[in-house]
Amino acid sequence: MFRKLLIANRGEVAVRVARTARELGVATVGVFSEADRGASWLACFDETVALGEAAPAASYLAAERVVQAALQTGCSAVHPGWGFLSERPDFAALCAQFGLRFVGPSPGVMERLGRKLTAKSTMLEAGLPVVPGSDGLLADVDEAVALAHSIGYPVMVKADAGGGGRGMRLATDEASLRTGFAEATTEAASAFGDGGLYLERYVASGRHVEVQVLGDAYGAAIHLGERDCSIQRNHQKLVEESPCPALAEDERARLGERAARATAAIGYEGAGTVEFLRTPDGELYFMEMNARLQVEHPLTELTTGVDLVHEQLAVAANQPLRLSQEDVRFCGHAIECRINAEDPARGFLPTPGTLTAFELAPDAPSVRVDTHLAEGEEVSPHYDSLLAKLIAHGETRAEAIELMLAALRASRVEGVSTTIPLHIAVLESEAFGSGEVDTSFIPGLDALSAPRAS
Amino acid sequence: MSGASLELLVERTDTGCALRSPGVGTFTCPRPRGAVIGEGEGAGVLRVLGREVTLLVPSGVLGRVANDPPTRVRAPVAYRDLLYELEALVDVEAAASRVGTPDAAVEGGLVLRAPQTGRFYHRPGPDRPPYLVAGAELAAGVPVGLIEVMKTFTQIAYRAADGLPERARFVRWLAEDGAEVTAGDALLVLESA
Repeated sequence: MFRKLLIANRGEVAVRVARTARELGVATVGVFSEADRGASWLACFDETVALGEAAPAASYLAAERVVQAALQTGCSAVHPGWGFLSERPDFAALCAQFGLRFVGPSPGVMERLGRKLTAKSTMLEAGLPVVPGSDGLLADVDEAVALAHSIGYPVMVKADAGGGGRGMRLATDEASLRTGFAEATTEAASAFGDGGLYLERYVASGRHVEVQVLGDAYGAAIHLGERDCSIQRNHQKLVEESPCPALAEDERARLGERAARATAAIGYEGAGTVEFLRTPDGELYFMEMNARLQVEHPLTELTTGVDLVHEQLAVAANQPLRLSQEDVRFCGHAIECRINAEDPARGFLPTPGTLTAFELAPDAPSVRVDTHLAEGEEVSPHYDSLLAKLIAHGETRAEAIELMLAALRASRVEGVSTTIPLHIAVLESEAFGSGEVDTSFIPGLDALSAPRAS
Repeated sequence: MSGASLELLVERTDTGCALRSPGVGTFTCPRPRGAVIGEGEGAGVLRVLGREVTLLVPSGVLGRVANDPPTRVRAPVAYRDLLYELEALVDVEAAASRVGTPDAAVEGGLVLRAPQTGRFYHRPGPDRPPYLVAGAELAAGVPVGLIEVMKTFTQIAYRAADGLPERARFVRWLAEDGAEVTAGDALLVLESA
């Protein structure tokens, strides 16, 4: 195992990684920006290094500063957490160049997974089903039109280099495809310096189902079950659960095996997540693979009893996987709610401010609370709005919902608006109770907005 | 060596000023206690990933080193770590307070203020033209800028509220493009149209 680890992240993520490192006897170095100077969560590291100003490009995204900080504090490894530098192959390569072990897959694998089309063809080769569409980049708009004819409208054109919803257009007929193609290619060229597009069938609604996988440096890979993250707003997950209520037992096992086989086939090292879209008629399509730990990883930790950060560090330290597929046992049902500093009744407007009260899930020892904040602290406008995650674990789905509802109702956060009222509305809704949800709507949101808007 | 350089960060103190590290690296070749250093001069070297970066004294600063800078060869330093305390030989106010208080400059004038705390942008995207040019006419709903709060970008639209008239003309920016602003900070100067 490593002697000293630099955690290249902030807030809740950094605190989470530091906890496991401490349990393993690994010394930790934290980093911070000027906006986080003096924050109480910095106390959870053995040492800290100031990186730069608040803007991420000057601090948490400043790859050279992070690597230099690791070198001058005598670290031998860097954990990127999620977000920031976690999926940047050039950062992983820079770590390697200076003799630091990057906790994650190799830069080459990351690069392939980072390009949408390359990821799709890589996974198709590795045996995963993908949304029907073009085999490669489209040569021109006529090729797009011909292809759309054969697979049927509606279709989506997407930028290969895209992300964050940019360089993407939905087309319902030839005319809208021709306009959309031109717009998407221009948008992608200006935003990503690459106007290359591909096309696929548009799946209007479905469930977001993702499989947690672990691979090692020796070609082995296992899966740790799936998570359902269908409750979203603008592609941001809000409520997640494991297992997925829509999957039958045999379907679940088959999906996990396929994801694990694909993970091994591409030589993936460490913890990763293979995301699928499940259509209403039960088809599962590969969407993307996230080459990092996920925000919602605690669901898997509670249902399997496996500490994912521990497994990541073990793989990075060149140990073979410590678990075989048979060792993985699934127990009960877990639900996670992301408590964000946002006002769901006002279009999820971010609400930075001072936490005048911050009490989460009091008297609920079975509910896990992951947070870096405490009463009296400032919620900075510079970074994302996640305040905390509540994760409830029950024997059944119904029990997990009850535990979570009790925890949410007993929580008290003042000084900023939060998503707590929305979570209560979602968990109380009939749609969520029956498990009939998809990514296109948030059950309970209307009821929450209506009285206040009038 | 390519001759890379970075300016030290300057901060005014009671007796002069403090010069702080502008980056993360190992610090060597410090100027000793008693040395007089001034604007544009090299005052040590920061080694960053094996490259040497000369640390320069920023403009408007002249002073005598009043502390013992880190003497260890290649002392590791972080962003804003103290490297020099300078006893002032000239007034360093100009250098340390280059950022004036925008409100003082616009007393009596019309200003549009930040609705939220965040990062303020003059333009809708990095390679797009600014929302406003001098003389632009403003009425309710006309976008004047972009504010980024917790990674969410929201357009700021003109509103005839808080003492602002129905129609106004844009005069100049007060907050720079990409500046961090606090709710209520003056963003731009207007005149009645």
